[in-house]
Amino acid sequence: MAHLGTPAVVMDNGTGYTKLGFAGNDAPSFVFPTVIATAKGSSGGNISRKGTEDLDFYIGDEALAAANGPAYSVNYPIRHGQIENWDHMERFWENSIFKYLRCEPEDHHFLLTEPPLNPPENRENTAEIMFESFNCAGLYIAVQAVLALAASWTSNKVTDRSLTGTVIDSGDGVTHVIPVAEGYVIGSAIKSIPIAGRDITYFIQNMLRDRNEPDTSLKTAEQIKENYCYVCPDIVKEFNRFDNDPDRFQKYMADQGLHRRATVDVGYERFLAPEIFFNPEIASSDFLTPLSEVVDTVVQSSPIDVRRGLYKNIVLSGGSTMFKDFGRRLQRDIRTLADDRLAANQRATGVKSSGVDVKVISHSKQRNAVWYGGSLLSSTPEFKNYCYTKQDYDEMGPGIVRNFSLFSMV
Amino acid sequence: MPALNSTFLGEDQDTRVVGNFAILPIKTSFRGPSYPSNADYDIIDEVLDLFRANSFFKNFEIKGPADRALIYGILFVSECLGKLKPTTSANEANKLLNTAAVEHFSIPGDAGFPLNSLYAPPRDRNEVELLRGYLMQFRQELAKRLIEKIYKDDPSKPNKYWLAFTRRHFMNKSL
Repeated sequence: MAHLGTPAVVMDNGTGYTKLGFAGNDAPSFVFPTVIATAKGSSGGNISRKGTEDLDFYIGDEALAAANGPAYSVNYPIRHGQIENWDHMERFWENSIFKYLRCEPEDHHFLLTEPPLNPPENRENTAEIMFESFNCAGLYIAVQAVLALAASWTSNKVTDRSLTGTVIDSGDGVTHVIPVAEGYVIGSAIKSIPIAGRDITYFIQNMLRDRNEPDTSLKTAEQIKENYCYVCPDIVKEFNRFDNDPDRFQKYMADQGLHRRATVDVGYERFLAPEIFFNPEIASSDFLTPLSEVVDTVVQSSPIDVRRGLYKNIVLSGGSTMFKDFGRRLQRDIRTLADDRLAANQRATGVKSSGVDVKVISHSKQRNAVWYGGSLLSSTPEFKNYCYTKQDYDEMGPGIVRNFSLFSMV
Repeated sequence: MPALNSTFLGEDQDTRVVGNFAILPIKTSFRGPSYPSNADYDIIDEVLDLFRANSFFKNFEIKGPADRALIYGILFVSECLGKLKPTTSANEANKLLNTAAVEHFSIPGDAGFPLNSLYAPPRDRNEVELLRGYLMQFRQELAKRLIEKIYKDDPSKPNKYWLAFTRRHFMNKSL
């Protein structure tokens, strides 16, 4: 068969960005926003193009560019991690496969990702599209958090390749804390936090405005976030370090287009912006629980026999966890919480505990951890055995994709 | 790590308290009822240290009289910064803030004092005199050290990073 030698296609469709690529690669071949631009109305279409309206659309960055004109409107087919508009999603996949990856779906197996707690009906819809519209050779749908755990195996801090751990997945819109035991998501203990990349950008923009900087656009704020921000151990001490060492204040050259440039000073936002994860109070008035406390609550509400494993393997994933020393600060804060509880317990019962090991794992593939985990798993020889093939689908119907057997590389 | 409390809380037993406001010793050459401080770090230093961090917080748990001195100091710094413009020079600032420090201001218990829900009024006339005298000294010294700090690099204009804090209000309050 033709498809035996071809690598699997890994597609991670997130709310904000879609990551596309082939199994075994180190990084996705394409990363672009999950948007589709469709033609506005059909009234103005001319006769010769009649019947081709449904081919008139763009995805990703091209879609954003097309939407600047009058003829197209932008749609976001995925909301809160789940596919909302199946027609748009089908066309989005169509372009992803044929225009970007340029591959024949009947020659490749596909690994798609889904958020935790995705309803099985969504899986069936996905299977229907993948098999009936695209006739793909095989399909596997994996939970994003589990892939993020697999991606952490690249870190040398990870000794056993287990699929037990707590995943902190922070993208642009929301941050999820997801406990996973032996490859299965503990759905009842998942928590999400309304603080993520976008809030950090807004916070920086606000600080720039407070200072009347010459350029306070979102783009500038985003660049400052990505290039200058870091996590500090103690904000009061950090303010003093800025006083004593003026080199910590930096300058950013903002390009405003048309050859205009503005110099923006970068100050305290360097460490204050990521601080909103650990002290949400400084940016919002309705959500006040620090990330460390949320993680601790998640572990505590999981079954007691996996808690040790969950503390020992806290894995970061997503762009908003990329700040320097993010993992180190989080580990310190969670450890303090866990130790305090153990000490209180010991005082109350008099039983000495052996202590709990808290470890936060940062690794080099963190930004696209979900995609990378998918690439890792689908490049193994066993992967194809775990996929459902077109024949399986034809024989059993879409219901088969309600369950996928788990597999790990050990 | 929520907003930080004063480190002088531990010394509450030996400090004088009016109402529930701590009359902490300060290092100053301004005249007033405060005892001279012989430590290198006094409440004024602490106010200036914690001002930037605490300004971001809206909630604050008051744990003792020293915290009330801290809150008062932080809010006074806010008020001072509000009076400065990006072009104010150090000399002008000196004049401006010195007047602001001594001109008519309300103390806990006065009808116009904005934090009366948190501060207990003084018990008698003597205490009123003591608190008013102390606060004046406290405000003068704080204004002086604030100016030293924000004009350290350039005496012609205040530090813009400090000035940016005028838009933030600790505990959503102002004096």
